[in-house]
Amino acid sequence: MKSLQELAFKLLSEGTVKVVIGYEQGPLGVRPAFITDPAQSSKLIFDRRCTQNLATYLNPRRKHIAALGKAAVVVKGCDARAVAGLIREQQITRDSLVIIAVRCGGVLEDPISTAELTAETTSPRCGHCQVREPKLYDHLLGELPPEPPVNPRRSEQIAAIEKMTAAERMEYWNQHLDRCIRCHACREACPMCFCVECRAERALPQWIDFSPTPRANRGWTMMRVMHQAGRCVDCMECERACPEGIPLGLLARYIADSVEQRYGYKATDDPGVPAPLGVFRTDDGEEFIR
Amino acid sequence: MTNRFLSHENLSKLVADLAAAKTRVIAPVRTNDDAAQIDYLPIQKLEEASFGVRLPRRSAKEFFLPATDVLLKYRYEKDGFEIESVPTTAKPQVILGPSPCDVAATEIVDKVMNWDYRDELWFGRREATTIVSMLCSMMDATCFCTAVGLGPDAVRGSDAMLVPVEGGYVVRVVTAKGESLLKNYVTDQVSDALNTQAEKAGAEARKKVEANMPAIPAAFAESLGRNFDHPLWKTMALRCHGCGACASVCPTCHCFDIVDEHNDAEHGVRRRNWDSCQTARFTVHTSGHNPRGSQTERFRQRVEHKFSIYPSRFGEILCTGCGRCSRICPGGMNLAEVVGEFRSLATAAPEGGAQ
Repeated sequence: MKSLQELAFKLLSEGTVKVVIGYEQGPLGVRPAFITDPAQSSKLIFDRRCTQNLATYLNPRRKHIAALGKAAVVVKGCDARAVAGLIREQQITRDSLVIIAVRCGGVLEDPISTAELTAETTSPRCGHCQVREPKLYDHLLGELPPEPPVNPRRSEQIAAIEKMTAAERMEYWNQHLDRCIRCHACREACPMCFCVECRAERALPQWIDFSPTPRANRGWTMMRVMHQAGRCVDCMECERACPEGIPLGLLARYIADSVEQRYGYKATDDPGVPAPLGVFRTDDGEEFIR
Repeated sequence: MTNRFLSHENLSKLVADLAAAKTRVIAPVRTNDDAAQIDYLPIQKLEEASFGVRLPRRSAKEFFLPATDVLLKYRYEKDGFEIESVPTTAKPQVILGPSPCDVAATEIVDKVMNWDYRDELWFGRREATTIVSMLCSMMDATCFCTAVGLGPDAVRGSDAMLVPVEGGYVVRVVTAKGESLLKNYVTDQVSDALNTQAEKAGAEARKKVEANMPAIPAAFAESLGRNFDHPLWKTMALRCHGCGACASVCPTCHCFDIVDEHNDAEHGVRRRNWDSCQTARFTVHTSGHNPRGSQTERFRQRVEHKFSIYPSRFGEILCTGCGRCSRICPGGMNLAEVVGEFRSLATAAPEGGAQ
């Protein structure tokens, strides 16, 4: 993508930023790129394989990245919501980075794949996407591509789970969560998991056992999902990172839908919109304390 | 090592007989039709297994070092405590059809498990297990077993190896354990044609992997040491999330953490759990200081341990070239690329402020 490469070259050679975080072709599919030398700008690409959410790399506790200096980051609409989330939650400031937004026609679920976008290969999060043209940006690139195909897998799974009895649901989730090995890859790949000390690693008091036992696995996943309520941007990086293939994106979607129904909040790339758990409203139903 | 022949029918009978004797048989099993996903799982019948589809998602190490393993149970008493130990002998099990890279890993890890302390749980399971591996035909561009002295036809760590041929398998019996498991199911008569077929399959498989990467020379370990401060470590580590997914799927990563966990006020369990040098928590001190303070040092540690530290201590590389870490990495890290970059420095002068 020529305009992206030219912009990166300009930002780096003018000294506006020290690093451009974007996408490149790696030995095995598309992967994150950190361009610090303007001459390397030609490595940057953007296409249907750019599924990763690069906002994860803006976490200020990734010190080796922060040490590079001011960054420009390439975002899709969905990723821009994570950047907004980090600004909203005061992890980064708006003027500390340059946002290069790209109009998006959907991405593949697997960045290693070379498939075309179809109902099977497109990420389930892309169906009916409302943010294909981000509003949070310094530079907006590309023409708006046609709408991506809808991958119905996730909505079908959620519909099936909603029909289950409580016992069946428990069985469904236990089957998946029993495989969890507590590597916490879901957390590390998540742009919104930025706690200095995760509760999962707290030993005094110990909230959740460290060991990957069924009890601890349920506790861990439930805690992470609940902590993401009203914060998750549904990029599905947790599900992509999970080496055990646990469908964490289902929980993310479900909790996002619940928050929308109850609090009228939808993940947005406007950092000025307060998160539902970060605001006091007199018309709040407050069902939970009745 | 002698060649025998095992028919499909007899392999099926072997699995059925083992199942009837309540011996656990573990084999590659298809767990997701759409994604052709394969996991090592217990089977009751041969038909449940899927050989030669693709490398199982996790290696076979969990059958010797489970993701969580009980070391002892304890109970607090008024005047002290009571400890209940766990058995260190295991029930017999057979792993059928694992790839040679996963099998060789067990023998490589044996060395550290029998170093300053003999790990009774590891060896209890190793002794109780018979491994019947299978010639690998699942290689892709990410594999490099031949570069680390192994190969799709390597029998290292196997009690016997099956090579698929017309009508069944040519069996290479390697150990007495393999002999005793298979003796009633194999025939000694193997036609020259089948032997040739097996040889050819092995040579062809080997050629495919060899094309991916030339053998790693001994000088590579020195190069890593010499380039300890090379700027490449920093550049390459930028995309690493520090999630440790690489270590969890790795056949040779064997680090663990030990924790005591309470079931109630009086009872608890001591467990060891898989751990990974890629996470920040792995080396953090009680004081809060972390000697491997950023992902650069943590990423370097994993590579150094596999290709320099382990070879200097145990005389061999702690990697079987299976490529799982590269395939699973959500950040697009690639071990073959890392090896390639640093081996090109093997003959070059030190750079980047190495002392």
